[in-house]
Amino acid sequence: MLKKSYSIYSLQKRLLAIMGTATFLFMCLFGKLFWVQIIQGKSLQVKAISQWTRDLPLLGLRGSITDCNGNILANSYTSYNVYVRPSNVTNPDSVAICLSNLLGVDYDTVYKKATTKSVSESLIKQQVSADTVRYILQQNINGIYISETSTRQYPYGNSLTSVLGYCTIDNVGQSGLEAYYNSYLTGINGATMTESDIKGLELSNATTSFIAGIPGCDIELTIDIGIQMILENVLENIMLEQQSKSASAIIMNAKNGEIVAMASKPSFDLNNPPRDDVEQLLSLSKNSLITDVYEPGSTFKLFTVAAALSSGVTNVDETFYDPGFRIIDGQKIKCWKTTGHGQQTLVDGVCNSCNCVFMDLGLRMGVEYFYSALKSYGIGSATNIDFYGESSGIMMSENLVKNVDLARISFGQAIAVTPLQMITSVCGILTGTLYEPKFIKSITSNGVTKTFSSVIKAKTVSKSVSEQILSMMEQVVSKNDGLYSFVPGYRIGGKTGTAQKYENGSVASGKYVSSFVGVYPVDDPQYVMLLCVDEPSAGQYYGSLVAAPYAKQIFSQMFNYLNIEPTNLSEDLEKLSLDVTVPNLVGLSITDACSLLASLDLQFEIDGEGSMVLSQSIPSQEKVYKRAIILLKT
Amino acid sequence: MKEKISFFDRNSHFINWWILIPAVILSIFGIIMIFSASSYTAETSYGNAYYFVEKQLLGLALGLCALVFAYFFNYNFLSKLKYWALAVGVLFLLIVFIPGIGIESYGAKRWIGFGAFSFQASEIAKFCFIIFCAGYMSEHQQKMQSFLGLMPVLCSGLLMCVLIMLEPNMSITMCLGMVLMIMLLTGGAKIKHLIFLSIPILCAIPVLIFIEPYRLSRLTAFLNPWASPQGEGFQLIQSLYSLGSGGWFGVGLFNSRAKYSFLPFSESDFIFSIIGEELGLVGAICVLILFLILIFSGFKVAIKANNRLGCFLATGITSILTVQVFLNVAVVTGLIPPTGLPLPLISYGSTSLVVFLGAIGVLLNISRQSSRSIVNNIGKKSIFVSKNKTKTA
Repeated sequence: MLKKSYSIYSLQKRLLAIMGTATFLFMCLFGKLFWVQIIQGKSLQVKAISQWTRDLPLLGLRGSITDCNGNILANSYTSYNVYVRPSNVTNPDSVAICLSNLLGVDYDTVYKKATTKSVSESLIKQQVSADTVRYILQQNINGIYISETSTRQYPYGNSLTSVLGYCTIDNVGQSGLEAYYNSYLTGINGATMTESDIKGLELSNATTSFIAGIPGCDIELTIDIGIQMILENVLENIMLEQQSKSASAIIMNAKNGEIVAMASKPSFDLNNPPRDDVEQLLSLSKNSLITDVYEPGSTFKLFTVAAALSSGVTNVDETFYDPGFRIIDGQKIKCWKTTGHGQQTLVDGVCNSCNCVFMDLGLRMGVEYFYSALKSYGIGSATNIDFYGESSGIMMSENLVKNVDLARISFGQAIAVTPLQMITSVCGILTGTLYEPKFIKSITSNGVTKTFSSVIKAKTVSKSVSEQILSMMEQVVSKNDGLYSFVPGYRIGGKTGTAQKYENGSVASGKYVSSFVGVYPVDDPQYVMLLCVDEPSAGQYYGSLVAAPYAKQIFSQMFNYLNIEPTNLSEDLEKLSLDVTVPNLVGLSITDACSLLASLDLQFEIDGEGSMVLSQSIPSQEKVYKRAIILLKT
Repeated sequence: MKEKISFFDRNSHFINWWILIPAVILSIFGIIMIFSASSYTAETSYGNAYYFVEKQLLGLALGLCALVFAYFFNYNFLSKLKYWALAVGVLFLLIVFIPGIGIESYGAKRWIGFGAFSFQASEIAKFCFIIFCAGYMSEHQQKMQSFLGLMPVLCSGLLMCVLIMLEPNMSITMCLGMVLMIMLLTGGAKIKHLIFLSIPILCAIPVLIFIEPYRLSRLTAFLNPWASPQGEGFQLIQSLYSLGSGGWFGVGLFNSRAKYSFLPFSESDFIFSIIGEELGLVGAICVLILFLILIFSGFKVAIKANNRLGCFLATGITSILTVQVFLNVAVVTGLIPPTGLPLPLISYGSTSLVVFLGAIGVLLNISRQSSRSIVNNIGKKSIFVSKNKTKTA
C-alpha cells in the first residue's frame, strides 16, 4: 500500500483540532457577551428604557408676566389637545358628531380623520379647555384621545400688544417681551414614564415614574397697567377722531428710565393673533416705537436749546429777530410761521417754536459741539432697552454736515430718531442723567427673585440747564400753543412737534407726524410722555392741535388714577376761562382776518398762498382760550 | 467479512450522562424560556399565553421518544439507509417548492405542511446528509483521500446547499456548508483538497450576498445598526438593548422587557437575547457552558466510537450542534450579520427539537456501543485499525 494511510491518529488529531476551534469560537462569544452586557450594558440600558417606556410630558408651564403692581398681563394654564386614533375608533360617526359639535370642527373633516387607518393618530383641535375635554371624555367614545398642553392668555388682550408680543401655538415667544425673555419664561417639561409594549400599550404590571416639570420664571415689568389702559383708551380715541394711520405713546419714569406705559394703535388681541395673515401679524406685532425712526420736528428743539445753554452761546434772556426765514449759504430756510415771529427772547422762541432761533443756536455751536452734545444725550445710539430689533436712529455723518444741514437738524429736521430714543433723551436732559430704558423689574423663579436696577448711561446737562428747560416747557403749556395740554392745578411742561413725512426721499405732501412731549411735575420730573400721531387726516396736523389735547386727557386721567391732588387750582382755572368767541372769518381777506384775530388775542396759522380765507379750523361762535390757534385755509 | 447488524442492541445499559443531562436540561430550560419570551405576544396574537409552549411541549415529548428510540436503535443500521437518507433529504427539499404542500412565510419556502402538521425540511435534510455522509465515508475510506473519491459527498452536500439556498435560507446553507467541510476534514480528505474547495465557496459568498439586495442591506445594517434603527438595524438593536439590560445577573426570570413585542422572534431565533436579559451574563454563559459540555462529550464520543461510522455520525451531529449554537449566539450578540437560525434545543420549533433530541439519542447509542467494546477490548488500542485491516485484507 503506497498511499499513506489515514490513520486513527490523524483522525483524532483532526477531531481535536475541530474541538479546539470550537472552543476558540465559544471564547469569542464569551468576549462579545461580556462586551455587550457589561461594558456597553449601561448605555444600552439607558437607550432601551427610553424605548421600552411610553413617556407623557408633564408640563412645565410658561411663566407669567405681571405689571409693577402684580396685575397679571400674561399667564398660561393647562389645556388639552384632542386626537383621534383611527385604529381604536369603533363608530366614526359618533366620533365625528361629538367632536364637531363640541369643538366647532367640520364634521366631514373629523369623519375623514377618524376613518383614515393609515395614520395612527390625527390631531383634531389644540388647546381645548378642561371643561370641554371632561365633557368629551364623559361621552365615552372609543378612539378619542387627549394630551396635555397649555394655553397662553392675556387678560388685557388688545392692550400692550406690541410690547408683550405673542407666542406660537406651541408657546414659544415670537415677538416683543415674550420673545426677548423667552428662555426665562419657558418652562421645562417633565415626564411620566410608563412601561409599555411596542405599540405603546401599557403593561398590566407596569411601573410608572414621574419627573416633575419645572415652570418658567415669572417676570415683573415696570409697566403700570392702570396708566397703560389710560393710554390705550386715549389712543383709540385719537385713531377715531383724527383718522390717523397710527397713534402711539410712551410714558417713562424720568427718575430711572423705567417704561411705565407704552402703547400703539392699531393693535390686535393677543389671545387671538391673526396667525393666518402673516403680513398683518408681522406689521401689527412690530413695536414701531422702538424699531422705527421718524423725523422728530420741533420736539427736537429741546436738545438744541439744552446744548446751546450748556455751551454758553446763549442765555434765556437773549433776544432774537425772526423775519420768517433765514438765508444760510444762499439757501432760504423758512420758519413755520412764514410771516415771522418778530422780536422775541429765547424763551419766546421756544414757546413759539420759532425755527430761526434754533438755526441761530445750531450755527453758533457748530457741528462738532452740537453733535457731541447730542451724542451725550443718547441721540444716534441704541438705548439698549430689553427688546429685540431696536433701531439706533439716523444721523448724518458728522463730516458731511453742511451749515444748511446743521440749521435743519437744529429744529428737528434732517435727523431721525426712534420715539423711544426721543423720550429717553428728553428724560436725560430733564434730569441731567441718561438712563437705559427698561421693561424688566424683576424675574422670579421658585421663590427667588432677581431685581433689575436702573443703569445710568451718562450725565447730560447741569442742573441749572435742566431747570431752565423745564421752566420753558412749563411756559409752553401754560401760556402758549401748548395750552391745549394744560391741566389746571398740575405743573406740566410740554413741547409740541410737527414733522413732515418723507416718502422715497422727498417730502410727502399732507403727511405729518404730530407729536407732543410732556413732563410732570416740572419741579421734579417723574413722568415724561411722548405722544405721536402718525398721518392725522381729520383736517388738522399741528402737534398743538392734534397731539397736545390728548396729552392733556392722558395726564388728567393719570393724576386721577394716581390720586395726585391739584395745587393752585383756582389760579389755573382763570387761565382757562373760555372767554373768547371765535368770529366768522370765511370770506374776509387775509389781512382783515389777521388784524381781527390779533385784536381778540387769538393766534393763527395760514395754509395756502391765496388772499381770501376759505375755511377756518374752529367754527365761528365757538368759545376758546386766549391765544388759541386758528388755522386759516386760503 | 460482513458483520450481522442487529436492529436493536441491548447488550449494554451504559448511558452517557454527560450528554443526556445537558441535553435534557437545555430542552426543559428552553420550554421555560419560550414561555417567558412568548407569553405576551402569544396572548396578544393568539389569545393564549401558552400557544408556543404547548406546541414546544409536544415537540419535547416527541423528541424524547425519538431520543429513547435512537438510544436503542443500532446506529450501524443507518449505513444501510444512507442512500435512502440522501434521497429523503433531497426529496423534502424539493417538496418545499410544490405549491400547496410547501408553505411560504417571510418570503421564503422553508416548510412542508400536511394539514395541521408542518415541519421545516432543512432541519431534517441536514441530518439526512450526515447519515449519508457518515455511511459513505466509513465505507469508502481510501477514496476520501483522492479528489474524485470525495466527490459523492461533496456533490450531495452542495446539491442540498443549493436547494436550501433556493428556499432561500442563507443561514442553514452556511451551517450545512460548514458541517460539510468538517465532515470532509474528519473523513480524511487531504488538507490541500479542502483548501482548493474552499476557494470557490469563499468566492460564492459575496456573489450570494449581492444577488439578494436584502442581504446587502442586512450587512450594512450589521456594520452600523444605528443608521437605520427602525429599518434593517431594528432587530439587532433590540437584541443589544435586551442583552445590555441584563448586566451581570439579569433582570430576573420572566422579567424581560424586550419580549413585549419589541424584539421580533424573541421565542425562536433571538431567544438567547431574552436569556441574557433575564439571567444576565452569568446565566448566558452557563447556557453556553452546558452546550460546550454537550459538544465536548459529543466529540469525545466520536473519538471513542467503535467504528468509523459511529465516529463520523457523532462528529456530524456534534458539528451541526456546534455550528448552529455558534452562529445563533454570534448573530444575537452582533458578532456576525443577522441571519435566522434557531438555537438548538432551546429555540421554539418542534421539528428542530425532535430532530436534535433524536440525534442526541444516536450519540448516546454510539457512546453506549463504544463503552461495551472498550470494556470488551481492554488492551486494544482501537478497533479502527483492526477493522481497517480486515477490510483491506
